Amino acid sequence: MPPLAKIRIDLNSPVPAYRQIVDALRVLLVDGSLPPASELPSVRRLAMELGIHFNTVGEAYRTLAEEGWLDLRHGRSAKVIARGAQSAASPERLQEFRTQLRNLVAQMRAAGVPRSRIAAELRSMMEGLNP
Amino acid sequence: MNNDLPVSLLVTAFTGAVMLLLPHISPRRYCFAITVPPGFPASPAGRTSLRRYYSAVVCSIVISAVILLELDHWSGPVLPVVAMLAPTVLGMLAYLFERYHVSQVAPRPDPVRVVELSSDDDRLPRWIALVLPPFAFPIATAAWLRARWNQIPARFPIHWNGHDIADRFADKTPRAVYGPLLFCVGMMLVLILMTLAMFYGSRRGRQRTAIVKMMVATIYFIAALFSVIATLPIAPFPPSMVLIPGLLFPALLLIWVIRIVRDPGMPVDQTPDGCWYLGSIYVNAKDPAIFVQRRIGFGYTMNMGNRLAWMFMGGFVAAIVGLVFTLPR
Repeated sequence: MPPLAKIRIDLNSPVPAYRQIVDALRVLLVDGSLPPASELPSVRRLAMELGIHFNTVGEAYRTLAEEGWLDLRHGRSAKVIARGAQSAASPERLQEFRTQLRNLVAQMRAAGVPRSRIAAELRSMMEGLNP
Repeated sequence: MNNDLPVSLLVTAFTGAVMLLLPHISPRRYCFAITVPPGFPASPAGRTSLRRYYSAVVCSIVISAVILLELDHWSGPVLPVVAMLAPTVLGMLAYLFERYHVSQVAPRPDPVRVVELSSDDDRLPRWIALVLPPFAFPIATAAWLRARWNQIPARFPIHWNGHDIADRFADKTPRAVYGPLLFCVGMMLVLILMTLAMFYGSRRGRQRTAIVKMMVATIYFIAALFSVIATLPIAPFPPSMVLIPGLLFPALLLIWVIRIVRDPGMPVDQTPDGCWYLGSIYVNAKDPAIFVQRRIGFGYTMNMGNRLAWMFMGGFVAAIVGLVFTLPR
């Protein structure tokens, strides 16, 4: 039996809980830990387990539904759906990602992580993500 | 010598023993209702706190016993009560003092939450259907009483003193005869509703399953106990016999609870220490859980910061008050 997917959030982190949930779930969705047809805990249950407001989890689920990852039907739990092939990101969106990546790399460099290590981390991350 | 002295000393010894046991009937990850790392109670700081607490409780028991033994020299009804309450009151004060002390030395709890993304645990276990068979007990008893209606005396006892002598009676009416059974069914329904509310209103974990099992066992116990009580107007056994299972069941439940809470693997609810008042009242409007793990003793307590908890409590009190009116008087 494969290990159950888990998400982890830090209540003291400056990153909002909503963003932490979206990011953690997206990683699991992209790397295949949550395959299509997987059932996620209900908004109420996940909020209770994390000890945060329902709206925070609801907003995170809605964001992922808008990205095409989840099927949210009223009265049913959230289900992972097969996501069709995505068209290539627009130049504006690519620029946005580039900026985010540059900021992250700059943070890592500032924290003393060597260039070779950053490159290795990015490579292993890419290999770990399925599509 | 005062005739009540043995009873007073027994009450004092019992309350004192409960206070001494208090740190041991809470999950191991709590020390004086504060979240602590594993092994904290065995650390020098933990040992000092526990030693101080035990000393305070033992002192309060001794003081209480001395007052009760010397009571013949004093007069007034208040002093015995004060003496009997001393282990509880002084013990609680000592508990709160140590709670404050532990909160100063214990490391801050981990703000990280890790949750399994599964919906499997969100469904009631199949064995919850075991709550249905006990309803057959009061129904069968009601049928049995109906078949023997003519054997029920026109006036029958409903209360007995400590010597098994009846001291209160009721007239033979459907309410008086079937009242205990109606009360029983009502109590069983209330317990089932409480179980469901606790299951869906609390976080996942082994404790949640354990509590549901205890509730199921309690429903069986109530069904059997009240079915026996309802037969007392024509039953051929002394009413004090009912007391034996009445004491045995809570004792067995206590042993069960102690076994569960002393399990070092028992996970704890990650409730913030700052939201606990006096170690037993939880108020956190940001926490969507209605029921949270108790920090003193075992089981759940309500999150008083949640409006649903207040509504549930109101409904529960109303149900109990309504049920009391079904009993014969």
